[in-house]
Amino acid sequence: MSVPERIKPVLLPLAALLAFEAWMRLAGVQSDSLAPPSAVALALAGALSDGSLLTATRDTLASAFAGLALGGAIGLVLGIALGLSQIFNRLMEVTIEAVRPIPSVALLPIALIALGFGYRMEIAIVGFACVWPVLIMTRAAVGGIEPRLIEVARVLRLTQLDRVRKIVIPAALPRIFLAFRLAAGIALIVAVTVEIAINPLGLGAGIMTAQQALRPDLMLAYLVWIGVTGFMLNTALMTAQTTLFGRAAVIGDGA
Amino acid sequence: MRHLLMGAAVGAMLTFALTSTAAQAEKIQIGCTATSDCASAMVAVDEGLFKKHGLDAEMVLIGINSNIPAAILSNSIQIGGPTSTVFLQAADGGLDLVAVSGASIMNKTSNDAIAAFVRNGVTIASPQDFKGKKVGAPGIGAFLQVLFVKWLVEKGVDPKSVNFVEVTFPTMADTIKSGGVDAVLTAEPFVMRMTDANLGTVGARYAAELARSEPIIFYAASREWAAKNPETVKKFRAAIAEAAAIVNNDREKASAAIAKFTKQPLDLVKLTTPNYSEPVLKPEQLAWWIDVMSAQKMLQSKLDLKTLILN
Repeated sequence: MSVPERIKPVLLPLAALLAFEAWMRLAGVQSDSLAPPSAVALALAGALSDGSLLTATRDTLASAFAGLALGGAIGLVLGIALGLSQIFNRLMEVTIEAVRPIPSVALLPIALIALGFGYRMEIAIVGFACVWPVLIMTRAAVGGIEPRLIEVARVLRLTQLDRVRKIVIPAALPRIFLAFRLAAGIALIVAVTVEIAINPLGLGAGIMTAQQALRPDLMLAYLVWIGVTGFMLNTALMTAQTTLFGRAAVIGDGA
Repeated sequence: MRHLLMGAAVGAMLTFALTSTAAQAEKIQIGCTATSDCASAMVAVDEGLFKKHGLDAEMVLIGINSNIPAAILSNSIQIGGPTSTVFLQAADGGLDLVAVSGASIMNKTSNDAIAAFVRNGVTIASPQDFKGKKVGAPGIGAFLQVLFVKWLVEKGVDPKSVNFVEVTFPTMADTIKSGGVDAVLTAEPFVMRMTDANLGTVGARYAAELARSEPIIFYAASREWAAKNPETVKKFRAAIAEAAAIVNNDREKASAAIAKFTKQPLDLVKLTTPNYSEPVLKPEQLAWWIDVMSAQKMLQSKLDLKTLILN
């Protein structure tokens, strides 16, 4: 009984794929944007075996992670500082709220002239997008630390640095990690968007090249692969979160 | 997790450092869109002509032509293939670009390949019938659209009465089929593919009616780079001149080079004649474009023809 149970959730998508395949073939649809699932699967296998898909994945993930590291680090430092100091928080509020709503991809034309094609531009744009979720969630996490913990730090006469290192970060860590997990999702989205719009490298550029080469099968294969990559990234981060923080991770999620 | 992030950051920085050192070597990157207009550069790479003239050239596929000027100025590419309209608008906007060599020009073959393709259910008997229609162009201000507007004006139709929207080449067939637009401004092989799929008919061969011979795309660089690298420009021109002859006379070699760069299936590339390659570029050839674009209010400043092309 257990095997059919496991298969059940796959049945609907599978049937939809088969129906789509049948429709594409029977109706003889000729399209530059759609391709039957079998052709997509073949194109995916082809792009995997010639290495082009893996190179593109490496380029996209390298930019996404580097941007996440850069933006996350800035967001983390600022978030902790803002969470600890009410004065600093109020001083920066207008600036942050003015800069934060700028869509990261709107910076593309400036970034292209200033930084040119390549990793540098993509990392900068991804970094910009990743600062905000980390900053805001870290600020909230630090601001929401149990006041008694801060009191303990004061009683122990810890220095400011030790207070951050020994009390603030450990107490806020599960929620900070959650912020990084969300930012990682954003990083991947922004990286692919930058590549679709301008940057001639990575998975996004792969989609555009395939589209312009009139290869909808390959284009959709890239799309499927981006979905798989995103899914695997999220699963890995979820696993890391539960392994690292156990029940605290769940609490962080609920907050 | 932090180690992971650090690892990724270090990895990315290393890759970046490696790529930037590679760029410092005597190497030029040539950026073009996936059209046959830059076929001379594609052939020069494919047939080893750049190498023969002592250039280590690499081609970069650029999605949207209007990104080329910015890519040149950021030194991501040293030479690019903007369309005449993109180049002149960039120069008009103050970007210091200079044309270094011709790429493609309009001739009978390329003009015949251009069409306003009309969907089923819409009849275009005369240019007047485009009034009130929704027309998809690969870009507003793009080569095909500027040419179409020029044609409308010559035929006494107010271009403002036509509703232009942007439709990229690969999505044209589907947009026409779904009725999203009444017509698209396109070229081969799309005209043939849409005709074969019974999606509609050719409403006007407007480029053939205009019958012009001005450049479509030419190779451009930043003035600063061109001034600093006169030897490289000279070698580039020599290789392009040799390659242009191959593009115009050897369909097999040209198709192979185009298919390799654009990644389009070779069979599809072979169906269409590549646009005519003309390595020589003269100031008067740009004069017509400047007139047309000024009439369409696309240019604000007075461009100096003499400075736009490198001697």
